[in-house]
Amino acid sequence: MINLAEPLKLASQSLLSNKLRTILTTMGVVIGVAAVITLVSMGEGAKSYVLNQISGWGVGANSITLQPGDGAGTSIPELTLTYGDMIAIREKVKKIQYLMPEIIGRGRLKYGAKEYTPGYTLGVSQDYPLAYKQKAAEGRFFSLAEDSGRKRVAVIGKTVARNLFGNFSPIGEKIKINGVGFIVIGILEEKGAMLTYDMDDMVLIPSSLAELTMGTKNIWEMMITTNDEKDVPEVMDEITKLLLARHRRIDFHMHTQAGLIDITNNILNALTGIVSAIAAISLLVGGIGIMNIMLVAVTERTREIGIRKAIGAKRRDIFLQFVMESILITLSGAVLGITIGTLASWGIMSALKLEAVIAYNAAAIACLVALLVGLFFGVYPAVRASKLDPVDALRFEV
Amino acid sequence: MSDKPVVTINNITKTYMMGKVEVKALQGISLTVNRGEFLSIMGPSGCGKSTMMHIIGCLDRPTTGHVLLDDVDIDELDDNSLAEIRNKKVGFVFQTFNLLPKLNAVENVELPLIYAGLKTEERRSRALELLAMVDLKERAFHRPAEMSGGQSQRVAIARALANNPSIIMADEPTGNLDSRSGAEIIHLFSELNKKGITLIMVTHDQDIANSSKRIVRLKDGLVVADEKVR
Ligand SMILES: Nc1ncnc2c1ncn2[C@@H]1O[C@H](COP(=O)(O)OP(=O)(O)O)[C@@H](O)[C@H]1O
Ligand SMILES: [Mg+2]
Repeated sequence: MINLAEPLKLASQSLLSNKLRTILTTMGVVIGVAAVITLVSMGEGAKSYVLNQISGWGVGANSITLQPGDGAGTSIPELTLTYGDMIAIREKVKKIQYLMPEIIGRGRLKYGAKEYTPGYTLGVSQDYPLAYKQKAAEGRFFSLAEDSGRKRVAVIGKTVARNLFGNFSPIGEKIKINGVGFIVIGILEEKGAMLTYDMDDMVLIPSSLAELTMGTKNIWEMMITTNDEKDVPEVMDEITKLLLARHRRIDFHMHTQAGLIDITNNILNALTGIVSAIAAISLLVGGIGIMNIMLVAVTERTREIGIRKAIGAKRRDIFLQFVMESILITLSGAVLGITIGTLASWGIMSALKLEAVIAYNAAAIACLVALLVGLFFGVYPAVRASKLDPVDALRFEV
Repeated sequence: MSDKPVVTINNITKTYMMGKVEVKALQGISLTVNRGEFLSIMGPSGCGKSTMMHIIGCLDRPTTGHVLLDDVDIDELDDNSLAEIRNKKVGFVFQTFNLLPKLNAVENVELPLIYAGLKTEERRSRALELLAMVDLKERAFHRPAEMSGGQSQRVAIARALANNPSIIMADEPTGNLDSRSGAEIIHLFSELNKKGITLIMVTHDQDIANSSKRIVRLKDGLVVADEKVR
């Protein structure tokens, strides 16, 4: 069995006897490891933020999004899904929890003499509060009966309420949308801005009244959830059959939330990977620095090597002594780098008010890579040291 | 004194290449050194004394010829086995001491014991014992820079004796010492020889050579004289 305690002791002695050089040599590894850990941790944090946002849209693994077009083209598709399709799905497809069409248009609102045109006027179903996790803050949302019965009721967002009614409560007030009379029955909870869209600047009306009010019955998107996650494929299958029978061609497509999460995950993983790979290059540079210093050390200590060989050190003894120095440098660099990287990512993420996700697996991998770097770049100088001829080494004058 | 040979060299040559020029450092030397001998090697500078010492001490291999150390033909040994012989059977003493400057006296003496695989405590007690033998116990924890040349050379001798070698090889051990320290070293060698230790020593000094038992003279890589002292 090879005794590693002696070479370890020798290596640490010689590293400690040249502290400044040791610290400077270690820096390359420290910076590399710290950078990798910080970037991976930030990437993980960003990922969990984005995924949280996605689930914040009220969608889970049991949701399906149905959209017009075959889903292959990049241009805006013809709006082939209609109110009629929605009614058909509601009547024929079982195991559906909710069904939420979005018929998007523009509506000019009038309350007395006041006029206001919100960002969106949407024809939706009674399932909107479920689908978007946005209830009525005041008043109520409309019901299935009101949608099917074409009752002229509207729910407005906070921005709209403020612009049209100021501080008055608008509940029960009569407004006109594009000249069609509605009664305001509710105000939506405030949702704030999502990216740059003001989510409170909109009016919701029953989907059955979209054609009358906005002159369109075409659906941009239909959000569907199933009672159970495992019903998703079956429901998708039934919808496909139904719409195929109605349209006689594939002019619609569906994607699931699981798919969206997958895609987002993939994109963010790829980004994190690329950035970390760039950071990892600094590890490589650190490794080359170690090799450089170790080659210098071998030359400086040629005489020492000669003396050790003259009194009985074998090649293996000299090799282990020098390779252990490289490994110690990289390992201590890795430990320091992990500490700094963890603190840095924690600091940065809390400054950005994001949850810090410390990438422990990245830390483990960084340690392993640092060890390999130390081995890889330490082996050559150590082999050189071990192969020195004792007589030549003893003659060597620094 | 037994007549059993410790070292037998048979017609060894050593040729160095200096660029394209061949330097024939040894041109065919034969020599037998028996157990308990104290041999001086003399000769002008560049005649091949150090080269011969290195070959006998297994630091180097001859170009041709054979070296038998304790009846083992070192030609047939690989580098690892040679290292083991240097560790266990040969003790080298150099003109420039060749101590490791960052280690103190006792740590320097411990070095061959480390490579021999001794445990920490055994090493320490053996090294202190050896330092006592060369009368340096009180300097055990001083570094070479804090010691005189004579003291450093005594540390080197203690190191050479660490693993009870069959032979001590000393290449101009007094070359860097004042005459008083030199005399002390030679006295120490004579004492060691009286205890039965075999010694080969290179020297330029006829007086020093006279305190050994046998003198071999080299010239241009050849033995030109081999005489008993007195
Ligand atoms: N490594 C070497 N390369 C080339 N020539 C060498 C080498 N070592 C010794 N020599 C030459 O061999 C000859 C003998 O050297 P050496 O044994 O050191 O002599 P000494 O110790 O008797 O003064 C000298 O001419 C020296 O220059
Ligand atoms: Mg010489």
